Amino acid sequence: MFYHISLEHEILLHPQYFGPQLLEKVKTKLYTEVEGTCTGKYGFVIAVTTIDSIGAGLILPGQGFVVYPVKYKAIVFRPFKGEVLDAVVRQVNKVGMFAEIGPLSCFISHHSIPAEMEFCPNVNPQCYKTKEEDIVIHAEGEIRLKIVGTRVDASGIFAIGTLMDDFLGLISN
Amino acid sequence: MAEDAVRVSQQQTKPVKIIKWKVREGTTVPVGRVILLYVFPDAEKVQQLKLKASQAGIIHTILAEEDRVVQPGEPLYTIKACSHPTIMNDMCAECGADLRKDDFPKSTASVPMIHAIPDLKVSEEQAQKLGQADSDRLIKDRKLVLLVDLDQTLIHTTNDNIPPNIKDVYHFQLYGPKSPWYHTRLRPGTHKFLNSVCELYELHICTFGTRHYAHMIAMFLDSDQKFFSNRILSRDECFDPTSKKANLKALFPCGDDMVCIIDDREDVWSHATNLIHVKPYHFFQHTGDINAPPGLDKQENDEKEGVDLTNIVKQSQKSNESSSSIDNGEPKAKESGEKNGSRDEKEGNGSHDQAVIKESITEENEKNCKIENDNQSITNNQKPSDETSENVVDCITNSNPSKENKETELKRESNTEDNVPHSENCLKNDSNNGVLKNTSNSPENKQNRQSNDGYIEIEDSDDYLIYLEDILKRIHAVYYELFDKMESGKIPDLKKVIPYVKGQVLKGCKLVFSGLVPTHYKLEDSKAYQVARSLGAEVQLEIDDETSHLVAVRPGTAKVNAGRRKKNLKIVTPDWLWCCAERWEQADERIFPLNAKGSKNRHPPPHCSSPEHVPTYPEHDTPALRKRTPSGRFMDTINPLMSFSRDDIANMDKEVEDILDDDTDDDTEEEGNVPIQADNEDDQNDTDVEDVNLKHMVQTEILDIYDKEDDDQRETTKDSNSEEENDVNDQHSSRKRRLEDDENSQDLPSRRFRRGEDVDELDVDPLQDPDDNDSDSFEAPDEEDDGEWNMMGAALEREFLSD
Repeated sequence: MFYHISLEHEILLHPQYFGPQLLEKVKTKLYTEVEGTCTGKYGFVIAVTTIDSIGAGLILPGQGFVVYPVKYKAIVFRPFKGEVLDAVVRQVNKVGMFAEIGPLSCFISHHSIPAEMEFCPNVNPQCYKTKEEDIVIHAEGEIRLKIVGTRVDASGIFAIGTLMDDFLGLISN
Repeated sequence: MAEDAVRVSQQQTKPVKIIKWKVREGTTVPVGRVILLYVFPDAEKVQQLKLKASQAGIIHTILAEEDRVVQPGEPLYTIKACSHPTIMNDMCAECGADLRKDDFPKSTASVPMIHAIPDLKVSEEQAQKLGQADSDRLIKDRKLVLLVDLDQTLIHTTNDNIPPNIKDVYHFQLYGPKSPWYHTRLRPGTHKFLNSVCELYELHICTFGTRHYAHMIAMFLDSDQKFFSNRILSRDECFDPTSKKANLKALFPCGDDMVCIIDDREDVWSHATNLIHVKPYHFFQHTGDINAPPGLDKQENDEKEGVDLTNIVKQSQKSNESSSSIDNGEPKAKESGEKNGSRDEKEGNGSHDQAVIKESITEENEKNCKIENDNQSITNNQKPSDETSENVVDCITNSNPSKENKETELKRESNTEDNVPHSENCLKNDSNNGVLKNTSNSPENKQNRQSNDGYIEIEDSDDYLIYLEDILKRIHAVYYELFDKMESGKIPDLKKVIPYVKGQVLKGCKLVFSGLVPTHYKLEDSKAYQVARSLGAEVQLEIDDETSHLVAVRPGTAKVNAGRRKKNLKIVTPDWLWCCAERWEQADERIFPLNAKGSKNRHPPPHCSSPEHVPTYPEHDTPALRKRTPSGRFMDTINPLMSFSRDDIANMDKEVEDILDDDTDDDTEEEGNVPIQADNEDDQNDTDVEDVNLKHMVQTEILDIYDKEDDDQRETTKDSNSEEENDVNDQHSSRKRRLEDDENSQDLPSRRFRRGEDVDELDVDPLQDPDDNDSDSFEAPDEEDDGEWNMMGAALEREFLSD
């Protein structure tokens, strides 16, 4: 799910940037430092929308670095169990398939793929398809899935998904 | 807890009628899976509803049959809790449970079945099921599995600096813009090879490179994922840093009966019998396997061959400077012979480029020069080359003799051998043909030329993949032939099929070795024996009527002499055997005739050894002996005298010569030497050496050297490829000299023999067996000379035997 929330971040700035462009530098540094990161609580920070305030800088004694507390608003993406999302298939194999929802990777076990869809390793690209071949899921295809579990660790979030529900599966345009 | 089945009962307030079960007993159901379809029979509007699983697990028993009306609270089915058969990142991929939390039972999933995703694990049971499905599918498609190694099998990669303008070399960085550059060259014919092999095999990459590296190379090899798809196993996924074997069980849980492996290293597969040990591909100098298992240097396996790219770049710079006058100019050619070849081609095309080959003294030329200096007969023998390209001579005369390089000698030797069968019928175009043939036969030869777009095209003549493709096709054919014969449900085992196919190569051949196995070494333990056996040949101790091949290192041994009398016996050098082992086919014996030079390749190249026998082969039992000999060759340890360096021998040579010069006319001494020579040759192979007294041995050594020089001379003569035309003058002059010599010392041909320099001019090996007049290759010697030698030899032999 996407949220637009207020967040805080501390920017550590090298003294070489002290000058007329200082605040600009703080802003650009904020963008590069927070966009694309991931926390367990809020999920992925997709984009900073506004910078609400840049607090008073505090010079660290003995170093000369300055710390700015920055308050900003950002769009974050936090996946939840039970959430239905649209994803792009990245890889298909005999154990299941991997899909990506933006920055979120997701694995769908072949048990969680409707039984009428079979894995076909011989065609290129490999795919899961029904006997009638009216539904073919292969890499780069778009699917709708439901998240059944998530794992949050330092580097990101990983999700387990399923296609076993109504209206899940290949999204046909 | 996991084993306890949970009873699920009807939750509705009204009775329901079951229309259809959507699951069977034993089905794994994740949360939300439709269990059954039902209706409320009492409702006015009949509407099918779905009952979905509220809990993940395996359906244990179904307690209510279809079409039955079930009252509320009545049990429907029992479900076992999810056993978490598939795990990704420590999360059950079926039910989404986090298995790092303590309250969940431990999972049974432990088999990482997908090559590049070690985090994804499935249970034994699942793995078996998936593996079985895989094998069934393979059999249905009549395919097999082929594990392909990358480094030195299909590609060669270096991280040395190499010029950027070489064709067909991929340059890439793995870890961002400041990381080191890698340069990869695909083995010639790789794409064709993959294309035809992927019809018969499911291809997997199995490499010790990192994942980045493996995927990068896979992109070069297979840009649209046609061959390998995602089946790439890299170092990151290897269980064991020194062996690839451990992963086999995980990738192929139903056994590796259908798995064939191609790799340039046997050790990483623990010498598995389903491995085809390929000849390592070597392109860049000074780099062996860049991803060798730990503990091995990257330089290991570096045969110090390959293209000297630094020279190319210099040369290309030079030629760029002068490019206004030179179109299509050859920057440089590696070997004099090849210069001729490419030049001939050009002239044939009507192009009259006079590419100036500057004094680029390549290593090769230096090596050549060394050999030629050894022989002291270079100019005469190089004549055919001179006619086509004077630059060759320029190069050679400008270059200085450098350190000895045996490999080049060998190369030249093989060139010579290649030319022999052709020398008779192709007289005029001989040098050209010879060159072309060399290119196809000696894989180390590399040709390069610069094309118009500034890229240097290096032709390397490595054609091993053609043979490998053939081997794989044969294996596939045999496998499915066997499969068709077997009763259904059983599949043949490639671990047996591959040695069987290999065993067909020389089936029916009966080999006798001469000079190949050290005297005190058991025949059965020798590598040559094992190679021959693995190819299906029989190895006999002595020649009999059944013997088909005599594999001899040197001429003049008792076996060779005996073999020459047999009509149907083919006498070949060990290179023939190694060639057969490399290509898995019976190589043409005519390419490997035993000539006077003999062969130095007593030991098979490492890639020819046979997987079948290697485990029993005590390969590492010689370190103590190795310490004793500077050369490290086990062969040398038999006779301590043989481990002398060339200088030592030269010193001894001089010493003895001084002694002999003191009493020049001592004929008996002379006569004594010759039979000992013959004796020694036999001794080395067949009988005990210990009886031979030291002095004689020393003299024998000297004689050996003379002999060798003589051989060298002859070889170079042949190397010139058109002996008939070009050696006429040479022969005339040498005959003249010989006549003079004969006049000077008519009764003493052995005196000439004693003087090193003169011996060079002899055309025939004085020590050869009397009836050895099969004109193996070289020009017929003077009749009377020959007779004289023969008579003398026979006399000495008699004398010696009577002793």
